[in-house]
Amino acid sequence: MKPQEPIPHNYSISTLNKIFALSSLGLLMGVGAMVAYDYISGWKRFQVGFMRLEEQRIRQELRAAEESQSRVELTRLDEEMQQREEEIARNREGYRSAQNELRSWEGRHYAADQNFRFAKATLDALRYEAEVAALKKRRNADRKREEYEAQSARVEELKLELEEVTRRRDAAKARVDGFLMRVRELEDRKKESTATIERLRKQLETVAPTPAFLILNAPLLDFINPTLRVDQVVVEDMFIDINYLHVPRVDRCMTCHRAIERPGFESKREAARLQAELQNKLETFQIPPERVAETEQRIDQLARIQTQRGIPNPYRTHPFLDTFVGSASAHPLAEFGCTSCHRGLDRSTNFARAGHTPMSRRQEARWKKSWHWKAQKYLETPMYPRQYFQAACVKCHSNQITVDSGPAITRGMTMVELYGCHACHKIDNWRFTALRKPGPDLNGIAEKTTPQWVSRWLADPHSFRSTTRMPAFFHQRNMNGPAVSQREREQNTRFQNAEIQAIVSYLFNNSTRRPWNGGGSGDPVRGEQLVGSVGCLGCHIAQDTVEDEQGAVREARRDDFPLERHYGFNLVGTGTKTDAGWLFNWLKDPRRYYHSAPMPDLRLTDQEAADITAYLMTLQKPDFMQRPLPPTEPRAVAELAKNYLINTMTDREANERLASMPLREQLDYLGQRTIEKYGCYSCHDIKGFEGLKPIGTELTIEGSKTLHLFDFGLVHDFEAHDGKDEHILHTVPSWIYTKVRAPRVWDDHREKPYQDKLKMPNFRLSPSEAQAITSVILGLTKERVDQSKNARLDPRSRAVEEGRKLVSQHNCRGCHVVEGYGRAIETTLSDPGLAPPDLTPQGSRVQSPWLFHFLKDPTVMNLRPWLSVRMPTFHFTDLEANTLVQSFAADGNVLQFDTTRYATPHPQNVAVGQVVFEMLRCAQCHPSGPAAATSEVADAASLAPNLSFARVRLQHDWIPDWIRRPNEIVPGTRMPTNFPRDPESGDFTSPLGMAIDTPAFSQYKARLSRYYPSDEEMRKALDDVVTISGYLRDYIWTLGPSEMRIAPATGEPRPQPPGRLQPTIELPAVGSTGSEQGSERPAR
Amino acid sequence: MSDLRKFLSIIATLLLVFAIACGGGQETVYDDEEEDEGGEEVATATSADTAQPGAPATADAGNVSGVVKLAGTPAAMPNVAMGADPACHQQHPTPAKSNEVVVSADGGLANVFVYVRPQDVKGSYPAPKTEALLDQVGCLYKPHVHAVHVGQTLKIRNSDPTLHNVHALAKANPEFNIGQPVQGMESQKKFDKPEILIKIKCDVHGWMNSYLAVMPHPFHSVSNDGGAFNISNLPAGTYTLEAWHEKFGTQSQQITVGPNETAQVSFTFNAS
Repeated sequence: MKPQEPIPHNYSISTLNKIFALSSLGLLMGVGAMVAYDYISGWKRFQVGFMRLEEQRIRQELRAAEESQSRVELTRLDEEMQQREEEIARNREGYRSAQNELRSWEGRHYAADQNFRFAKATLDALRYEAEVAALKKRRNADRKREEYEAQSARVEELKLELEEVTRRRDAAKARVDGFLMRVRELEDRKKESTATIERLRKQLETVAPTPAFLILNAPLLDFINPTLRVDQVVVEDMFIDINYLHVPRVDRCMTCHRAIERPGFESKREAARLQAELQNKLETFQIPPERVAETEQRIDQLARIQTQRGIPNPYRTHPFLDTFVGSASAHPLAEFGCTSCHRGLDRSTNFARAGHTPMSRRQEARWKKSWHWKAQKYLETPMYPRQYFQAACVKCHSNQITVDSGPAITRGMTMVELYGCHACHKIDNWRFTALRKPGPDLNGIAEKTTPQWVSRWLADPHSFRSTTRMPAFFHQRNMNGPAVSQREREQNTRFQNAEIQAIVSYLFNNSTRRPWNGGGSGDPVRGEQLVGSVGCLGCHIAQDTVEDEQGAVREARRDDFPLERHYGFNLVGTGTKTDAGWLFNWLKDPRRYYHSAPMPDLRLTDQEAADITAYLMTLQKPDFMQRPLPPTEPRAVAELAKNYLINTMTDREANERLASMPLREQLDYLGQRTIEKYGCYSCHDIKGFEGLKPIGTELTIEGSKTLHLFDFGLVHDFEAHDGKDEHILHTVPSWIYTKVRAPRVWDDHREKPYQDKLKMPNFRLSPSEAQAITSVILGLTKERVDQSKNARLDPRSRAVEEGRKLVSQHNCRGCHVVEGYGRAIETTLSDPGLAPPDLTPQGSRVQSPWLFHFLKDPTVMNLRPWLSVRMPTFHFTDLEANTLVQSFAADGNVLQFDTTRYATPHPQNVAVGQVVFEMLRCAQCHPSGPAAATSEVADAASLAPNLSFARVRLQHDWIPDWIRRPNEIVPGTRMPTNFPRDPESGDFTSPLGMAIDTPAFSQYKARLSRYYPSDEEMRKALDDVVTISGYLRDYIWTLGPSEMRIAPATGEPRPQPPGRLQPTIELPAVGSTGSEQGSERPAR
Repeated sequence: MSDLRKFLSIIATLLLVFAIACGGGQETVYDDEEEDEGGEEVATATSADTAQPGAPATADAGNVSGVVKLAGTPAAMPNVAMGADPACHQQHPTPAKSNEVVVSADGGLANVFVYVRPQDVKGSYPAPKTEALLDQVGCLYKPHVHAVHVGQTLKIRNSDPTLHNVHALAKANPEFNIGQPVQGMESQKKFDKPEILIKIKCDVHGWMNSYLAVMPHPFHSVSNDGGAFNISNLPAGTYTLEAWHEKFGTQSQQITVGPNETAQVSFTFNAS
C-alpha cells in the first residue's frame, strides 16, 4: 500500500496541537482555580476554624472534668462501694438466706399464681355450663350449679393463698433489696459522675478530624454528603423586600456564626454577666431544685471561660440567650431568624456582601485588611453597627413604653420625647399618639420674665443653664464658626441679632399681662430645706456644676443626672429669670398660669410657697444679665423682612410696603416669620401659630432611607461642641449621629445665602445621648412585622401598657422605683430610708379601691408620716386614675375587687397572731391606731407604715408573703427578714419555736399554751412559717376598719376645685371596741 | 485508579491544611473593639498562675505597727438620743456618746481600719475556723469596726431585750436584713467575696451602725483607743497600706517590710 498522501490544509497541525494542549491546560487550571476558590472561599474555613476551637474547648473541659471528678468523687465512691460490699460479705449468711428465701418464695408465687389462673378459667367454663343447663332446664342443671359453686369457693381460696404468697415474696424481695440498694445507689452515682466525661468523649469524636471527614469534604467529592455545609433558617412569615417582592427570609448567618445559639462560647464579659446573674438566682432560690446541679455546672463553665483565651467572633454565643435566639426565649432563632433584627443580606455567606457595617473607623480599617470588606452602597438594609444594635427593638416595640430587655432603647425613646424630637419631626406609629409640647407655653411670657432676659437666653441658652433641653438656634458653626469668612460672619451676626430682637418683640407684644401678686415675706433658708425635702428634686436639678472623680469642679451636663430629673427645668438662675409674684403663684397652683402645666400640685401652704419663692429668688446669675445687648439695627431688620416679602410680591412693592411699616411693625412681622422659619411653635404654644404642621423632616421611615439620600457635604471629621474630634464614616448611622451631635456641620466649607443655611438647632448632645437618639431613629423603618410577631397583645399586657404611659408622662420614676428602676430623687436624700416607696410590687400589694382614692387625693391617709417628700396631687381625671389602677392590678395579677377585706378571721388564729406579733416586736416600728405620731420617736426614719390602714389598703395574700420574704420583694427594704431561708433547702425557718422556751418568752408561752395541747405542738406550729405568717395577717386584719369611709375632711381646709372627691379614712379612737373585735390588745 | 484517589486525597489534605492555616491566622483578630480582650487575657493568666494555693511563707515575715493620729480638735461627739426605745435608754445611766470619732488625749484616733491592699498580697490564705462575733449590747454594735476573712463565719448576737434588725448594705456580697426580736438570739453569716467595707445598720435604732471588712488575707488591724495598730507575719516585700475611717475617708502609704523587721508607719487624719 502506498502511503496516504498528506491532505494539504491552511493550518499547521502541530501548532494547533500546541494551542489545543495549552488551552485545555488553561481550561483545566481555570476549573481547578474555580474549584479551589469555591472551596476555600469564606465560610468553609470558619467552619473548620470552629471545629478546631470546639475541639480545644472539649479537651479542656474533659481535662477539667477528669481532674475534678475522677480524683475526688470517684475514689470516694469506690471506697464507699468497697465498704458496702465488705458489709455485704460480712452479712453474707443473712444475705444468702434472704436470697434463698426470695428464690423459694418466687417459686411458690409462680405456682400459686398458675393455680389461681387455671382455677379461674375453669370457673368461667363451669359458669357457662351452669347457665346453659339452667336455661334449657336440663336434668343435670343442679349438679352443674353445685360444681360451679364448689369451684367458686376454690377460686376464692386460691386467691387468698396467692395474696399471702405475694406478700411474703415482696417482703423477701425487700430484704434482698435492702442489701443491694446501697450498692446500686453508689453504682448509679458513679455512672452519673462519669457521664459527663463519657459525653465529652463522644463529642470529641464528632469534631476531631478523621479520614472520613477529609474524604467527605474533599474538593469535587463534597457534592455527595459533605459535613461542611451552608446552614440556614427559613423564616416564612418575616418577609424581606427584594425589588418590590415580599419573599421569606432565608438567613444563612449561622453558617459562620456557628455557636450563635449554643451556650458555652460566650465572650468573657458576657460570661461574667451570666455568672453573676445565675449566682444571684441560685442564692435567692429562684432556680427549681431539680435544676440546681445543672446551673452549678453552667456557672463552673462560665467561670472557666473567663480564665481561658477569649473566643473571637464569629464563634461567640449570642449574648442574652434567654431573650434572643435561644429556643425558649421571646425571639427564638427559628421564628425570627437573624436579619429581621440585625438587617443585612439574608442569603449571603460572604462577609462584605452580607452587609456587615463597621462601628468605627478603626474597625473599618481592620475589616478591610482582614476580610476585604467593602461598603455595600446598593444594599437597602445594611446591618446595624454594634453600638446601634438596639435600633432593631424599635421596629416592633416603638409603641411600647418599656422595652424590658432594652434599657438603652427605652432611654432613647424617652429622650426623643423629652428633648422634643417628635415636636419638629413627625413620627408615626409612636408609642404616644398625642404628646404635650416639650417647651413651656409662651403666651404669658411677659408675666414671667423680661425681654432682656429672653434676648440673652435665645442668643445662648446653654450659658445660662448648661443642662437645659432648649437647643441653641443662633451663633452656630455655620453662622459664626471658624470656617466662615470674617465678612460673612459680621453680616450673619447682624442678621441673627435682628432675628432675636424680632422674636422677642413678637412674643412680648402678643403676651397676656395678668398681675401675679403675693409671696412677699419668705425665709430663703427654710425654702432651701423645703426644695430639698418636699420632692422638687425628683424632677428638677438645682445645680450647674458637678464634681468629677478627681474632685475638680466642672460644668454640669445632662448626662450627669438621671433622665427623670430633666422633666422639670434646672432651678439654677431662677431668680434672674422669673418674677417673684409669678413664681409664688406658679408654686401654689401651676394650672392657674397654664391649663395643662405638667408640674403637679404639691399642696404648699402660703408660707411654704413664699419660703420656696424666697429661696429660688436667691438663685441668681448676675453675670448673665451683664452681657451686652446689641442695639436694634433697622437696616438688618428691613433687609431680612424684605427677603420674606419678595416671596409674594415684586421688589418695588416690597420696598413700598416696608416704607409704610414703622420699625415696631417691621420687627413684629420679622418675628412672626422667624418663629415660622425656626419652628419655635413646634415646641412652644405661641399665639398665632395654632395648628401649624411641625417644621422638620418626617422621621417615620428614616431608618429605611438608603445611603444616597444623605448629603455628606464636604466634611470627613468634625469637632463637636464639647471639643471632641469625631470621624464620619460613609454610613447612614454615622450620618444621623453626626447630624444630631453637630446639626449644621454639613454647611462647613459651603457657600450658601443666609436664608438657605441649615436651621436645625444644637442640643449639645453628649456622645451617649446622640447614640441613644440615633438608635431610635435608625429603628424607624418601613419594615413591618406580622401581627403574630408583635409583642404584648393580650388585654392584661395592654392594660399594663396604658398605665406605663401615665407613669412615663407624669415622671413617677423621679421619686418611685417602678418595675425595678427609677427613684432619681434618692441621691439627693440624706437617708435612703426617707425615699418614697418602691412601686415594683404595687399591683400585688394594694387593693384597687384604695389606690384609686389615694391617686385622686394623696392626703386620704397619712401612711408614711416620716417622709417629708410629698406625693403630689396630679389632679388625675377619673379615667386616668382608673387606667393606673387597672395597670397596677394587671401587673400584679390580682383581682381589682374582692371580698377578702370583709372576711372575719378565726379568733384563735387572731389570738395566736397577736402573741407572735408581740414576740417579733412588730409594734416597735409599726404603729397602729390614730395616736401614732412621729413625735414619740426620736428617729423618724425608723418608722414603718401604720397597720390600722392595712385592711383597707393591702391585699389579703400580700401580707403573709411580705412577712416571709420582704428583702426578696423589695431589695434593700428596711423591713427585716424574720424568717430567713435555710441556705441549703431554701425553706423558710422560724426562730420562734426555739425561742419560746427562753425565760424572756415565758409569758408568751403561757398565753399560747391555751391554744395548744402540748409544748411539742406549740413549737411545731411556731416553726410553720406559712401558717404563722397567716396568723400574723389575721391579727393585723383586726387592727383597722374594714371600710374606707369617704367623709368630708376635717382640719385645715384646702382650696379645692369644685366637685372633687374628698375621701378620708376615719380611724376609731384608741381603746374603742371597733378595732379589737374581741381579741386582746397588745400591751404597749 | 488508585493513583487518582491518592492524588485527590493529597489535594484534599493540602487544601484543608491551607484552609485551616488561613482560619488559624485570622483567629487572633478580634472583631469587636469594645470587647478586645487581649490585655485582659494576659492579666488573668498571670493572676491565675500566681494564685497557687499554699501555706503562706512565714519564715521571712515581718511586722507593721504604728499609730493613727488626728490633727486638730474634732467637734465633741454628741450623746446618742436613745429615748425612743426605753429598753436601750435604761441600759445607759450616763448617756452613751456617739462613737463616730473616738480620740484619745494624745490625739490617737480609734476605729481606723488599717490593711494591706488585697491585690498586693500574693498567695491565698484559708479562712480561720474560729467565728467572728458582732454583738449588740446596750443598743450599740460591738465592735464598731472589724474584719472577717472570706468564708469565715460571722456570728451576730442580740444581747438586748429589744428588737434589733441587722441590715448589711453589702455591694459585692448579697445584701441581708435579719430581724432579731429575741434577747440572746444568734444568726450566722458567711461572706464569699472580699469587700471593704460593708456598712451594717439597724433600721429600728437609727444611731446604730458598724463597719465590716471582708478580707482575703489576715494582714489588717483596727486601731485601738490609743490609735495604735499592729499587723504581724506579713511576708517581706513592698506593699500599699491603706487606712480607712468612717468620717475622714481613706489614706494610703507605700511600705517596705524586710524579713523579721517591724516597719513603723503612722497615719494622720485631719479633723477639719
